[in-house]
Amino acid sequence: MGRKKRWILVGVVALGTLVGVGAYTQQQKPLDPFEEAMRQRQMYLETFGVLPGELFAEEGKELFFRKGPSGKTLEECDFGKGKGVLEGAYAVLPKYFPDTKRVEDLESRVYTCMQTVQGYKPNEIKRDEVKAITTYIATFSSKAKIQVVPKHPAELAMYNLGRELWYTRAGARDMSCAVCHDQYAGQRVRLSPVRSPKQGLGNEWPAYRFEEDKLYTMEDRINFCYESIAIPKPEFYSDVHIALTVYMLAEATKAGHSFEELPFFTR
Amino acid sequence: MKKKAAVVLTSALLLGLGLTQVSPFRERLEAALHAGGHEFAQVMLAQDKGQALCSQYRDKLPPDLIPGFLAEQKALIKYPANGKLMGDWRNGEKVFTDPKRGNCYACHAGVATEVAHGTMGPSLTGYGQRGTAEPVVRYTYEKIYNAWAFVPCSLMYRGGVHGLFTPEETADLVAFLLDPESPINRR
Repeated sequence: MGRKKRWILVGVVALGTLVGVGAYTQQQKPLDPFEEAMRQRQMYLETFGVLPGELFAEEGKELFFRKGPSGKTLEECDFGKGKGVLEGAYAVLPKYFPDTKRVEDLESRVYTCMQTVQGYKPNEIKRDEVKAITTYIATFSSKAKIQVVPKHPAELAMYNLGRELWYTRAGARDMSCAVCHDQYAGQRVRLSPVRSPKQGLGNEWPAYRFEEDKLYTMEDRINFCYESIAIPKPEFYSDVHIALTVYMLAEATKAGHSFEELPFFTR
Repeated sequence: MKKKAAVVLTSALLLGLGLTQVSPFRERLEAALHAGGHEFAQVMLAQDKGQALCSQYRDKLPPDLIPGFLAEQKALIKYPANGKLMGDWRNGEKVFTDPKRGNCYACHAGVATEVAHGTMGPSLTGYGQRGTAEPVVRYTYEKIYNAWAFVPCSLMYRGGVHGLFTPEETADLVAFLLDPESPINRR
């Protein structure tokens, strides 16, 4: 699907979302956000026959098989289950990669391989492309059981780091991840429901977020949180994202969660 | 006896070493924060004493630290120059709803017609029922200015302490909550 066509569709989708939100706020009692999003999802499927997240996955597929300056495609990259294996790969990430001697999440792994395998320079790599490729690879783990179990010393170190970041209160709003996502899990910020890692937080990304009219990856979601609590967002592919992701998904793994397509979102 | 003294001395030396050196974990954490970029690291590393304690104890302070914590937070509260703790509710409503200042609807219900409110904090609809006696006004002012002077490490942030609103604007927020004319208190 062409880029232009995609943006027209996304625009129409955004308009539909606004109408939905309008109907929402005129009600005396707020609708259940999950029910409302499920209704919107159904509406898009009936109207367009496709969900916006699927368009990003489609674009990611094209980019996955695009040859880089080295002449190679991303089929030559090991995403955690061996070279070229995508089935279930997202479910085991982040993990330690011996070639980079680093724990990587899917996004930083895509970013790494675009350089080391495909020969792109960092400044040639567009964030939107990494997002689309990440979305494409994640579609091979839809409904998969999350299996982030830190074992390698570097993975255990990342988990501990992520837990520390999770509880760090900072910025003009005195916030940490934990204060909302642990203590007040099950409550709402404005109309958005808040979950804890034990309730499966993190199992819905990457996804198209109707509310924001954007495709979000896990790293985007972490940045959105930091921005909304008055802390400047960390740079993409940093250890901050990877550590927090290890912590959240390891907790979700312990609680036995699978990747879900939440009603508000869709891959 | 000599042996015991040696053990004590060695322990003291090791303890001293431990206190003066940054732990490897702390070093690793700081490296990760810097990897997140300069601006991110700057804010995360600029924790004040209260934020550092809340982080260290995962928001549950040991009982012996609580009196000192509350006293330190109380000392951070500033008051309007004119001494009036109840200002203009109309301006208070602006600060209350502004996402960059109060952002109170993120967690609290307020004016009954606003249904897009959070549920993390208690509902403030009809807050003025408790009247405008001096202790009520003072408590409301101090709680809004610095919530941690009452509940250590609460989710409610210290808007006044961080300058998200001035002492005068805090008084306006008090009026928005307590003034019988405020839409929070009208049916």
